[in-house]
Amino acid sequence: MDHGTEARMFRDFAGRSDAYYASAISRLQRNRLPFWHVNWSAAAGGFLWAATRANGFLFWIGFALDLVAAVCLALAYKYAGAAEQAVIDEKQFLVTRFEAWEVSSFWAAILVFVIGRLLFGWLADRVYARQYERWRIDHGRPSGLRYSRLLPALLALLLIWPLTLYRATQFAPEPRACQRQDRALQDGESVAFKDRFNCLAIGDFPTLFWLDRPDEISFPRNEDGTRNLVRKPAGENLPPVDLNTFISQHIEDSVGYLTAFYGIFFDSFTAFLRAMLGIITAVFVGTPWPVTAGVLLAVAYRWAGGRVAAFVGASLAYLALFGFWNTAMDTLSLVVAASIICILVGLPLGIWIAKSSLVRSIATPVLDVMQTIPSFVYLLPAVAFFSIGKPPGILATVIFAMPPMARLTALGIRQVPENTREAALAFGATPRQLLTKVELPLALPSIMAGVNQVVMMSLSMVVIAALIGAGGMGFVVTEALSNTRIGRGILAGFGIALLAMMIDRVIQKARRPQR
Amino acid sequence: MTDPASSYSIELSNVWKIFGPQPAAALAAIRSGNLSKAEVLQQFGAVVGVQDVSLSILEGEIFCIMGLSGSGKSTLVRHVNRLIEPTAGSIRIHGTDVGKLNAEELRALRAKRIGMVFQNMALLPHRSVRDNIAFALELRNVDARTRFDVSEDVLRKVSLQGYGDRMPSELSGGMQQRVGLGRAIAANPDILLMDEPFSALDPLIRRGLQTEFLSLSRDMRKTTLFITHDLDEAIRMGNRIAIMKDGVVVQVGTPTEIVTMPADKYVSDFVEGISKLKLLFAGNLMEPVEKYERENGPLPDLETCPSARPDDDLDHLVRIAVRRKEPIVVFEDDKAVGIVTKDALLRGVQGEA
Repeated sequence: MDHGTEARMFRDFAGRSDAYYASAISRLQRNRLPFWHVNWSAAAGGFLWAATRANGFLFWIGFALDLVAAVCLALAYKYAGAAEQAVIDEKQFLVTRFEAWEVSSFWAAILVFVIGRLLFGWLADRVYARQYERWRIDHGRPSGLRYSRLLPALLALLLIWPLTLYRATQFAPEPRACQRQDRALQDGESVAFKDRFNCLAIGDFPTLFWLDRPDEISFPRNEDGTRNLVRKPAGENLPPVDLNTFISQHIEDSVGYLTAFYGIFFDSFTAFLRAMLGIITAVFVGTPWPVTAGVLLAVAYRWAGGRVAAFVGASLAYLALFGFWNTAMDTLSLVVAASIICILVGLPLGIWIAKSSLVRSIATPVLDVMQTIPSFVYLLPAVAFFSIGKPPGILATVIFAMPPMARLTALGIRQVPENTREAALAFGATPRQLLTKVELPLALPSIMAGVNQVVMMSLSMVVIAALIGAGGMGFVVTEALSNTRIGRGILAGFGIALLAMMIDRVIQKARRPQR
Repeated sequence: MTDPASSYSIELSNVWKIFGPQPAAALAAIRSGNLSKAEVLQQFGAVVGVQDVSLSILEGEIFCIMGLSGSGKSTLVRHVNRLIEPTAGSIRIHGTDVGKLNAEELRALRAKRIGMVFQNMALLPHRSVRDNIAFALELRNVDARTRFDVSEDVLRKVSLQGYGDRMPSELSGGMQQRVGLGRAIAANPDILLMDEPFSALDPLIRRGLQTEFLSLSRDMRKTTLFITHDLDEAIRMGNRIAIMKDGVVVQVGTPTEIVTMPADKYVSDFVEGISKLKLLFAGNLMEPVEKYERENGPLPDLETCPSARPDDDLDHLVRIAVRRKEPIVVFEDDKAVGIVTKDALLRGVQGEA
């Protein structure tokens, strides 16, 4: 591009002071802009400069920096007022504290403002050059200097600044004081406008509705063992409740209803889990330790080779020496039980997800949510329906650890190349043959990755499930936490880590056999 | 269902394939309203893959379908074993309408009567070469012993003796495609569908495999639909060639017909770069003896002239004509039927018969 066109481009883009921006931007492009270069008009104008130049990024940076400075200033004002009040109250320790805060807030305001504006001026031309490059690609992007753009900027200022600064000059109201205020208003008493405003606007989000207390519901047992529902109106004089209390009471009642009248379902499920766990525990804990240790070592050696076997040996020795043997085997049997259920549920689910786009569109968001929720939240439904102990622990673990199995199975199947699938069909494969002879074998690496994840996630969840009485290594840690016996907790935590690494090493090596 | 009168192995009649959300409506619109392809795409979001194609493939012939990418040739061939359902039209194999088969009959047809070879091999990487070759048999629950015997036989046919227990990943591209070919012929089908089987291979290996396939094909006498984007390959392999462009069959004919009488500009552009030496014959190039004598005076003594038969190709004629002044005399049943002059030879090299 010749010099004239380039100059015209800058004129079209920058509007006023195009010569300055042409020189700044082209020096930047040539890496000749000095490091200390600052756009002084931008530094002086702050976010208003960014608004006239239509640069949203700079606008919000400048806006936030100036706001922080202003808030610091407002804080200084607040502490000055508080210090005066303390002088009147004759509380000397408060006076010194508030005066110190006043001074530091004031200087913070000055510093943030000056350094912020300098930073802004420093950034301005550099960011503006990026805007120029994007504008060259698309001339529809905003360019030039226009004072009409100040209007929305001032609107933002008006919406955000006053309330924020007011909040900085006030001490936030106590939640209890606001509740008292609510009740006083309901009783027809009058409340000062300023107090009411503080409660509504600058405290916690105000309680909008007060609801009548729901009926008290219980499910007493009859003599023949069946249950019936007893509803008792809430006490007359009790105060109303907020939305949270109201809804959570209803949820608890519903769960109570289900467990009272459909308990047979939950009980049989618990019984099934307990039976399954019983068998597995019998294998791990019931077998004498020399046998279990020998078998574990042999499996590690066979699947993963000598080095991993040596590591497994050392880890087992640690667990045994520090007295964690049975506890660790307990944890291991929980992990195995949960993993088996995860695989039994996750594998068919994954196949179904891969095959049906309807199921995929339903299951994908559900699995996403299941993986996003923090693990110990799963303890809640497990406890609600299955009370405490090992079976609900396994259930919570399954909910937490199953998604990757379904997901990776589906992924593996869908990654099978379309032409391989086509070839199988061209030679007359039935849908079942396509699945068993082509898709599942080709998806095997992905499925095994799923198994690995399931086992690792089960282990982490089984430890957390100790909070609801699942026992095992996690119990040692929770107990150590509640009794602040740090040393014991650290030893158990290290044991859990070794257990995890041990399992992970063996499965990883088994998945990727070296030839 | 079988029509014994039909002498064709595969018959495609008026096959249409339209991809998109409402293929039937789009088809009706094209048939009635004479919409162009662009208009169909705009109005229905539909893409015309195959447009009104009718082809009849003879028992035992190698029929090439040649076209550039996007011309619909791979789509067309997938109609034969119904990997793709036609929007309209019918496909018959030995008189049986493929579209009317139920799922089980269709699977039997695919497993027993049609073998298919893919451009990207599409072998199963987790199975040995032998298990890949015997895949179609395994799908039909043929016992392991028979599968072993058949695969040994097939491995010999595709010159891969001793490779049966290797994994496909241990083989070179050319060898992998032999496995693909072996898999296609293992169930001894009477039809082979070859979807650009040699396109992904480098030129030398491609040529070797072409030669091998031709000789194998002469022994097996299987009806073969051979897809290619390379006219040279089509001419080398095909008894007949169909040229496709944008879903339409532009021309069908023997290699010589295609080269000497291209149907339109599109075909002639393709043909331009093709060597005619093996495609033109003395029979195409000769002129009657009387015409020659009228223009050039009497022939010299026939004994001194180089001689040829009508089915000798141009390559041969050029070889016998060099360093000789006399024209070539063409004999049929010991009788001089025509004369090929040097001018005719030179024109022939340029493709004019």
